[in-house]
Amino acid sequence: MTWSAAARGAHQPDNTAFTQQRLPAWQPLLSASIALPLFFCAGLAFIGLGLGLFYSSNGIKELEYDYTGTAGPGGCSACALADRGRAPPPPCSCAWHFSLPELFPGPVYLYYELTNFYQNNRRYSVSRDDAQLSGLPSALRHPANECAPYQRRASGLPIAPCGAIANSLFNDSFSLWHQRRAGGPYVEVPLDRTGIAWWTDCHVKFRNPPPVNGSLALAFHGTAPPPNWPRPVYALSPDPNNTGFVNQDFVVWMRTAALPTFRKLYARIRQGNYSAGLPRGSYAVNIAYNYPVRAFGGRKLVVLSNISWMGGKNPFLGIAYLAVGSLCILVGFVMLVVYIRYQDQNDEDEDEE
Amino acid sequence: MDCSLARTLVRRYCAGEENWVDSRTIYVGHKEPPPGAEAYILQRHPDNRIVSSKYTFWNFIPKNLFEQFRRIANFYFLIIFLVQLIIDTPTSPVTSGLPLFFVITVTAIKQGYEDWLRHKADNAMNQCPVHFIQHGKLVRKQSRKLRVGDIVMVKEDETFPCDLIFLSSSRGDGTCHVTTASLDGESSHKTHYAVQDTKGFHTEEDIDGLHATIECEQPQPDLYKFVGRINVYNDRNDPVVRPLGSENLLLRGATLKNTEKIFGVAIYTGMETKMALNYQSKSQKRSAVEKSMNVFLIVYLCILISKALINTVLKYVWQSEPFRDEPWYNQKTESERQRNLFLRAFTDFLAFMVLFNYIIPVSMYVTVEMQKFLGSYFITWDEEMFDEDSGEGPLVNTSDLNEELGQVEYIFTDKTGTLTENNMEFKECCIEGHVYVPHAICNGQVLPGASGIDMIDSSPGTSAREREELFFRALCLCHTIQVKDDDDVDGPRKSPDSGKSCTYISSSPDEVALVEGIQRLGFTYLRLKDNYMEILNRENDMERFELLEILSFDSVRRRMSVIVKSATGEIYLFCKGADSSIFPRVIEGKVDQIRARVERNAVEGLRTLCVAYKRLNPEEYEGICMLLQAAKVALQDREKKLAEAYEQIEKDLVLLGATAVEDRLQEKAADTIEALQKAGIKVWVLTGDKMETAAATCYACKLFRRNTQLLELTTKKIEEQSLHDVLFELSKTVLRHSGSLTRDNFSGLSADMQDYGLIIDGAALSLIMKPREDGSCGNYRELFLEICRNCSAVLCCRMAPLQKAQIVKLIKLSKEHPITLAIGDGANDVSMILEAHVGIGVIGKEGRQAARNSDYAVPKFKHLKKMLLVHGHFYYIRISELVQYFFYKNVCFIFPQFLYQFFCGFSQQTLYDTAYLTLYNISFTSLPILLYSLMEQHVSIDTLRRDPSLYRDIAKNALLRWRVFIYWTFLGVFDALVFFFGAYFMFENTTVTSNGQIFGNWTFGTLVFTVMVFTVTLKLALDTHYWTWINHFVIWGSLLFYIVFSLLWGGIIWPFLNYQRMYYVFIQMLSSGPAWLVIILLITVSLLPDVLKKVLCRQLWPSATERVQTKNQCLSVEQSTIFMLSQTSSSLSF
Repeated sequence: MTWSAAARGAHQPDNTAFTQQRLPAWQPLLSASIALPLFFCAGLAFIGLGLGLFYSSNGIKELEYDYTGTAGPGGCSACALADRGRAPPPPCSCAWHFSLPELFPGPVYLYYELTNFYQNNRRYSVSRDDAQLSGLPSALRHPANECAPYQRRASGLPIAPCGAIANSLFNDSFSLWHQRRAGGPYVEVPLDRTGIAWWTDCHVKFRNPPPVNGSLALAFHGTAPPPNWPRPVYALSPDPNNTGFVNQDFVVWMRTAALPTFRKLYARIRQGNYSAGLPRGSYAVNIAYNYPVRAFGGRKLVVLSNISWMGGKNPFLGIAYLAVGSLCILVGFVMLVVYIRYQDQNDEDEDEE
Repeated sequence: MDCSLARTLVRRYCAGEENWVDSRTIYVGHKEPPPGAEAYILQRHPDNRIVSSKYTFWNFIPKNLFEQFRRIANFYFLIIFLVQLIIDTPTSPVTSGLPLFFVITVTAIKQGYEDWLRHKADNAMNQCPVHFIQHGKLVRKQSRKLRVGDIVMVKEDETFPCDLIFLSSSRGDGTCHVTTASLDGESSHKTHYAVQDTKGFHTEEDIDGLHATIECEQPQPDLYKFVGRINVYNDRNDPVVRPLGSENLLLRGATLKNTEKIFGVAIYTGMETKMALNYQSKSQKRSAVEKSMNVFLIVYLCILISKALINTVLKYVWQSEPFRDEPWYNQKTESERQRNLFLRAFTDFLAFMVLFNYIIPVSMYVTVEMQKFLGSYFITWDEEMFDEDSGEGPLVNTSDLNEELGQVEYIFTDKTGTLTENNMEFKECCIEGHVYVPHAICNGQVLPGASGIDMIDSSPGTSAREREELFFRALCLCHTIQVKDDDDVDGPRKSPDSGKSCTYISSSPDEVALVEGIQRLGFTYLRLKDNYMEILNRENDMERFELLEILSFDSVRRRMSVIVKSATGEIYLFCKGADSSIFPRVIEGKVDQIRARVERNAVEGLRTLCVAYKRLNPEEYEGICMLLQAAKVALQDREKKLAEAYEQIEKDLVLLGATAVEDRLQEKAADTIEALQKAGIKVWVLTGDKMETAAATCYACKLFRRNTQLLELTTKKIEEQSLHDVLFELSKTVLRHSGSLTRDNFSGLSADMQDYGLIIDGAALSLIMKPREDGSCGNYRELFLEICRNCSAVLCCRMAPLQKAQIVKLIKLSKEHPITLAIGDGANDVSMILEAHVGIGVIGKEGRQAARNSDYAVPKFKHLKKMLLVHGHFYYIRISELVQYFFYKNVCFIFPQFLYQFFCGFSQQTLYDTAYLTLYNISFTSLPILLYSLMEQHVSIDTLRRDPSLYRDIAKNALLRWRVFIYWTFLGVFDALVFFFGAYFMFENTTVTSNGQIFGNWTFGTLVFTVMVFTVTLKLALDTHYWTWINHFVIWGSLLFYIVFSLLWGGIIWPFLNYQRMYYVFIQMLSSGPAWLVIILLITVSLLPDVLKKVLCRQLWPSATERVQTKNQCLSVEQSTIFMLSQTSSSLSF
């Protein structure tokens, strides 16, 4: 590209392919003869893919239970009634009993689902301080203004972790019990509460402040827990690697959901006898019912699901692929008809000319 | 010679500006006039500093910012930015501040640099030394210190430092030569004359003794007009009063040539010089595309406001339930609770505006500007539009109108110099019915004497011979030619006998052709010396005529005269001019024979001039002198008075004969006109020539064909019938045919359709244009337009320059508002060039006035073909795609954002990260469309040139009609729906990773964004018909850049950010199989309708362009493989 040719007029312009707009070029044309095979091929490929996806999605098992307790005979109605006022509701527990006639193939994942909960509300989703969560000691005691009104306690103590998201941390807990034989004892199924958050989140993005004298509690000295929390952040879990800001429940909750109905991973079941899945038998999920949702018309669900290479049960992808594939084939046929009928006509037109 | 038009124009615009004091008085050399002279009001005049720069160091930033924000678009973005700063908005101010800052900075740097250059030029000019006279001595001072009234000395090849009245020169005859190349581009030497009474002052001392005052008009920008008066005071007598005209005025910027030195007195300085007054820029023209773009912008602004309104209203409806407005998990602060509801609603409205403001992107303006600026280089670079002979290439004076070249519906072309070469050749002369044809010059050898003349009739008698010689002398004397002498100014002329012909210079090529022709017939004009014109007659004797007066040419009179005194003391007036202006003033001579010959010549396309004379006795001459003097001295209405005087003088003439000069057609003029007509463009020829000549040219250049039925609307015809009858009759003729034909035939091939050509002359036109007494002025115009619309070609002859502009305006403002193009080469075409939508100047022989005032200039008329059919077509399709695509991609960008509000409680949550919001228009999707809009060729250059009818495909702004605009907008909405709901169903209630982990809202947004960037870029790829390596590079390059950027943006904890919401989001998304599948699916679905539409339209309703594309494709299938193979090596080196 010779830009010196910009000297206008007086001199003969440079004769390069670029300045003369004659660069060698590929000049494709989207004509019916190219589009037709393309449509058929794409259609077939999509249908094939769609079938695969559809069946693989159908192979996924999912069990869910709404334990909000407003309707139905479930054991959580009592708790729901207690959940009248706002924080903090009295501790209450209930259970969900179900039985599996056959093996629920593993690995099995335990989710909780909330509806009508706007984690994506702007005021809510900005109400956090990533600097504080990354363990910066200065930010720990000076939470960002976005956290207001959960920035400081009335006493003036900075809240750690600050903000609406942290304050509304989901605090129901679940335990899964298995009864091998009817009337037999319930055995607790071990729930793996690690590996539920992104590795990068709980190893890089979220960091605890450096411990003072080897104690995390001292590092948080001079801060207050969020108002709704019964215990401070460093006491979230007895496991020292899973407490404070890097507590995985907390990290999962801090990744705000895209839509008002969302699921979050609670635990993975992959240990002991249950690594291959949940064997048949009766089960009970004991629920510590703490989290108030009825105030905003929400619901709470607990979900057991297994997972394939394409994630959880999602018929959308398979159906969409099938639909688009068939559409392509259909359009292909329509175009074929048009092509055959009008090809002759065009030829005649050209002959006339 | 044709400047009168420019003059009138300028006068019109400048009238009334300086009315407060009509004239200024200057004391030459600052000497007070002797007591008793009239008392003058002293005025203050500026110094001679030229300030072309706009800014100073101190005011640059505020002033430049102010200027930039006066543009409505910049102002809009500034408001958005300020809103973001002031209120709590969803996006950070950076997202709109950064692009705005970028645009403003780049523009400011560009303008600052240009201004710095101007400062430098100003300084150089203001500080250059000037010699002037103080107390009889020569003093050197800086130019800027010059004041009005100073006496200045200028040496050869220096430029004049200000506007000067020419007092004396080193040449004995008180003349000097100047070139005004830097003023109006005319490089020919012009002669200026010193004031008669001061030309004797040759030395500094002499000139210091001059005691005079000058009265002149206030400064005005017309370069060719000046009136003034000088009073020279002598010791004894009353002051001598002399008129001053433009021939006494030396303009700043002109250069002194062929003269050792001159003295002059400064009358206009600094910013009051005519050059500085001409700095004012022309009015801005806006293209049709720009107008549609602005309309679309308004539509989008309405969409934007309604979106924001809808969301605000819905937000408050939705929030009416308290648990939604303030659920326990998301409480407000005290101050938020207490805020006034209306204030809150208004803030929300503004926040939504900010959220959706990207629908009108800053970058569109930048891209359009860049596209126009860079794109215009393709015209200047075009080798085929470079003229080897003149060494001139096309010029682009404005790049704002590139695409308008593809929209032209009417072309108004000048004839002389535009359609024709303006390379005149003397063909014949007719003296009293005898025709003389000079033999051609062989190798520059002039054939001597009488042998060069063919006597067609019997040899003339003695009286006839006398007449013949008088005719030759008349032609030798009646002109304003200068003889160019390269080596010595005052040295002896080389005799023409030596075989060398002298070089004549004139602003009119006709004159040169005539004088050269006469030279071949035996009479040679030698030079003008000391007011004596010297000619060499057939016997090689020198004859000297004293030049008494020149009644110079103007295009209204269409004739010129000289009054000379022969050696024997006889006084003659010789007059030469167009037949129509000569014949009515003739009382004697063989009028009929000559008229017949003139008409015959005109039919052959020759330019004819008639020559007449009148013998004056001394008393008559005295009277004439008085008349002229009175008119010349007048300060007001001088031109009008002069014209009246000329009218009185040039009458009762004796007709001598006529001349015929051939002006050959420019090469390929006919071919060009034919192609333009095939392209659906109506070509009108507007000329000052006579009807027959013009009609012959029109036949020659195939504007009229043999089967064209000519309709005449001329003075002659109107004399027979009334204008009313003629118009109605013509319209009946025309409409009878067109009535039976449907409008489709307009675009179809009109082989068997009767086509009409209209000839109208200036007088008839002014009758039509003249409002009638009863006030129903529009009536005739409408009728006339109706006739014109149905004629394939129109010839307007005998047009005054201003009438040309009138015609253009008439068509421009007719009810279809067609796009007009005017092309011409002379100063008389300037008004129509300025009036038309696109003005094209032919860089011709009649100076550069037209080229200077035009939007584009080409060396030859034939270049118009490529300019319109190829460049114009390309620019139009490129820019229309650019505009539509920009709106499309921003609908795709913002509509998901709008939909997301329904799922986030109308909380103005953004779907995309700030970096994506900022960079979407700036870097992810900017280059492909810019390069597309520079490189796209939907059909090849050769095809476009071969098949002019393709131009019809884009006529009437076809690619920016509402239908197309709505299609693009709906495509954008459809794509946005696909992106959003595709991602929505994908994310609804499920996990999409194989490790069971869950994605958040930023992954959702990133998925939508990724699909969008790919779809939008691939949509452009689908539209690209011309894939050079550059297109490949930018299209695939931007996609790659997006991926690399996202990886980086999410791969690092950026320390300067106070949030880390994008950390690993993109990488996590890519690690999920279904995300890949859904990306592929959504891209396919988004592109499907467009592909379908393209294929079906091509198959079912192909446009001419598409047919050609298909045909070429079939032809080149075999060739292309070979071509591609052979090109692979060269393509890399291009």
